[in-house]
Amino acid sequence: MQELTNNALMLKVKSGDLDKLGLLYERHKKRLFGFFYNMNSDASLSEDLVQNVFVRILKYKHTFTGDGSFTAWMFRTARNVNYDYYRKNKIAFNKSEISTVEYKLEDSDTVEKGMQRKDDISVLNHAMKILPPEKREILVLSKFKEMKFSEIGEILGCTEGTAKVKAHRALKDLRSIFLKLETR
Amino acid sequence: MQQEKYEIWMMEYLSGELDENEKSKFEKYLQEHPELQKEFDAMNSTWKQIDRVEVPVPSEKMDISFFNMLNEEVEKKKPITSNRIERLKSFFGSFLKPQLAFGMLLLTLGLGLGYMLKSNPSTPAVKETRVTDTNTETEEVRGQLVLTLLEQNSANKRLQGVNEAAKLNDASERIIEALFTTLNNDPNINVRLVALESLSKYVETPEVRMGLVKSIAFQDSPLVQIALADLMVALQEKTSVESMKQLLEKPDINNTVKRKLEESINHII
Repeated sequence: MQELTNNALMLKVKSGDLDKLGLLYERHKKRLFGFFYNMNSDASLSEDLVQNVFVRILKYKHTFTGDGSFTAWMFRTARNVNYDYYRKNKIAFNKSEISTVEYKLEDSDTVEKGMQRKDDISVLNHAMKILPPEKREILVLSKFKEMKFSEIGEILGCTEGTAKVKAHRALKDLRSIFLKLETR
Repeated sequence: MQQEKYEIWMMEYLSGELDENEKSKFEKYLQEHPELQKEFDAMNSTWKQIDRVEVPVPSEKMDISFFNMLNEEVEKKKPITSNRIERLKSFFGSFLKPQLAFGMLLLTLGLGLGYMLKSNPSTPAVKETRVTDTNTETEEVRGQLVLTLLEQNSANKRLQGVNEAAKLNDASERIIEALFTTLNNDPNINVRLVALESLSKYVETPEVRMGLVKSIAFQDSPLVQIALADLMVALQEKTSVESMKQLLEKPDINNTVKRKLEESINHII
């Protein structure tokens, strides 16, 4: 139901009623911020990227057809914004978290030296950061309430089934990183 | 069961996409496969833990910068015209300021000189002639326009021509002639009616009155016939009685027109 009004609102924005973007922003800012924060763990940067998403939505509003869901269209834009940020700043998106888990694990020692107790959450937090971005991304998306796998497929450009398999494998990888971190 | 299918099924279970019935099916399947149950429990706990990863709340700064951006965009879109004026202003401001000042100076000088030298009484006369000149010019152009429009194939164009003719202060013979040709021969009733209206402006001229009287007998449209009869009554034109009688003798005359003509004749006499 809300998706329907999302689309209607975006079509209004498209037709020139720019004020309606404010409503869409209020509805989606938290999720978008969460998405970016989970990807880069930098609150200030995430706020900037949320802003970039809406700037881009305005710029490319003519490409919104209203056929698919607005949320999927918006998150596709968000992914592009994220990807462009990494590319512009010459940070390798796919290798942002040094490719091998082992290497990272050595590094994590220094990070966690000061920590008295490795509770599950901070370990999981850490494991999430080590997980390659594309896997982290699908887990973050599938954790959003009201986000269906059909939409995730739309965002990632794959089928619903493939999105589920990808999510499953990402979860499995997260689990194994988590175990490795915990047993250290 | 195929590995991929199982993976999909588990994700559907975890993400809450399954209904109660399907959920219990999945749970039953796990009970039947204890080796999968163990793996599932591990996955399930990790899945739940992701939720507990803390995400801070975005600051107010984000809202402020978003709404600033949006307002700017809305402003940019709204007053395109005033924007243009602004741009023109800044254009003149940046390029023509010295020129403008110089121009103003020259203008003041000129005005001053003119004031000092004003002794030529013929200036107003010259002005007047110029005004009349332009007026006659406009009249001439309009006259030409009327003549051209009256020759057009489109009834609309001819109507426009006749209307233009009504705007003339003093019609030339050629225009009167053209209007009469239209009144007597134009295939369109509306054009003929408007031509009659335009001509009624010139009823002071004896030729026009005569032409109108003659025209009565030419008309075959009841509407124009009635309009002409009305005009004749208004003018109290005695010579028209003959033409109207002539018209009455026509065998195919409309009854309303017949009555109207008889009435008109009585009025005039």
